[in-house]
Amino acid sequence: MAEPIQPLEPNATSELKQEVREEVLVRRSRRGDLTAYDDLVKRYQERIYATIYHMTSNHEDANDLAQESFIKAFQVLPSFKGGSSFYTWLYRIAVNKTINFLKQRKNRTHLSLNDLDFNAEHDPDLMALISEKTPRREAGLTELQEKLNAALLKLSEPHRMVVVLHDVQGMSHEEIAKVMDCNIGTVRSRLFYARQQLQSELADYLK
Amino acid sequence: MNEQDSNFEPLVKLLALKRHEVPPPGYFNNFSRRVVEHIRHNESAKGEGVLGTLFAEAPWLMKFVRIFDTRPAVAGSFASVLFLLLVGVIVYTDFFPANNPESMLTVPPVENNVSSPLVAVSHEFFDQSVAASADQVSSTNPVYTLGSADSAFGGQGSMLQPVGFTIH
Repeated sequence: MAEPIQPLEPNATSELKQEVREEVLVRRSRRGDLTAYDDLVKRYQERIYATIYHMTSNHEDANDLAQESFIKAFQVLPSFKGGSSFYTWLYRIAVNKTINFLKQRKNRTHLSLNDLDFNAEHDPDLMALISEKTPRREAGLTELQEKLNAALLKLSEPHRMVVVLHDVQGMSHEEIAKVMDCNIGTVRSRLFYARQQLQSELADYLK
Repeated sequence: MNEQDSNFEPLVKLLALKRHEVPPPGYFNNFSRRVVEHIRHNESAKGEGVLGTLFAEAPWLMKFVRIFDTRPAVAGSFASVLFLLLVGVIVYTDFFPANNPESMLTVPPVENNVSSPLVAVSHEFFDQSVAASADQVSSTNPVYTLGSADSAFGGQGSMLQPVGFTIH
């Protein structure tokens, strides 16, 4: 029997409401309620897919790994004790799965890039990168995209993950430390090193 | 750290390009449904014991079996082919038993039949040749070679002769 969601105080913030609702969904999912788990998947599918895609630069691999991450999360849901948020716990599963997959595949990388959305052409920062002032002004957005992904793939998996989580997905150092199960100092040093490497690799496009 | 961030500002702006990469339209419409379906499949497969383990370890096998679920005609054709193969093997083994390798090396002695001019073995001739080569060791399985002899049709024919050989 589905657990009813308790009504909250009228002045409860939407964030709090969402937290409570998530707690209920997690509890129901742990009991095998796939309808509740379906809601949880819908909540995080885009973020999990995006993280994996940015790490692999391959849509097909990202699709498979994202699905496997959610399936694995459901299988081990009984082990989720609530010490961290469900979001962090889920992210950790996806990150570990992705890093293990990439380590096994080693250097056999194959780009299968997603298209850029309509807004990319209207991003002033990006347009500035391909303006007349840059040495490689003839480079279009597509070439930029390929060069950027190729440069990211040259980083080691942990360094790439930190850049993706921080600079692409906007996570804080603290959140990244929890997801990657390391301390904040390690996150900062990896981020610095990774940015240095990328800057060197993409120097022609950054002047 | 702010100073470091400012040093990498152009790079961070370039990395923002990644946020504009999107999967094909409608990709997420069925994503959660596919995940839930997969979980349901795994759970029903788990309930089948050995089969469940097999399908969990080899999901491609599950996909192969599911083809038969959705296309009964394919299942019927596949079963027919297997059945025909099995019948073929049984028929083949019945009509073409495996040959004894030893019989390939020996020719069973043929009766001294005058009406059979092509192959004629003279037992008397054979006994004489064995006696003549008494110092030689001959095999218990007589080995015959072709020699020249008069044929019933005239001219030179062939006649089987025993061959003696020495074992050192």
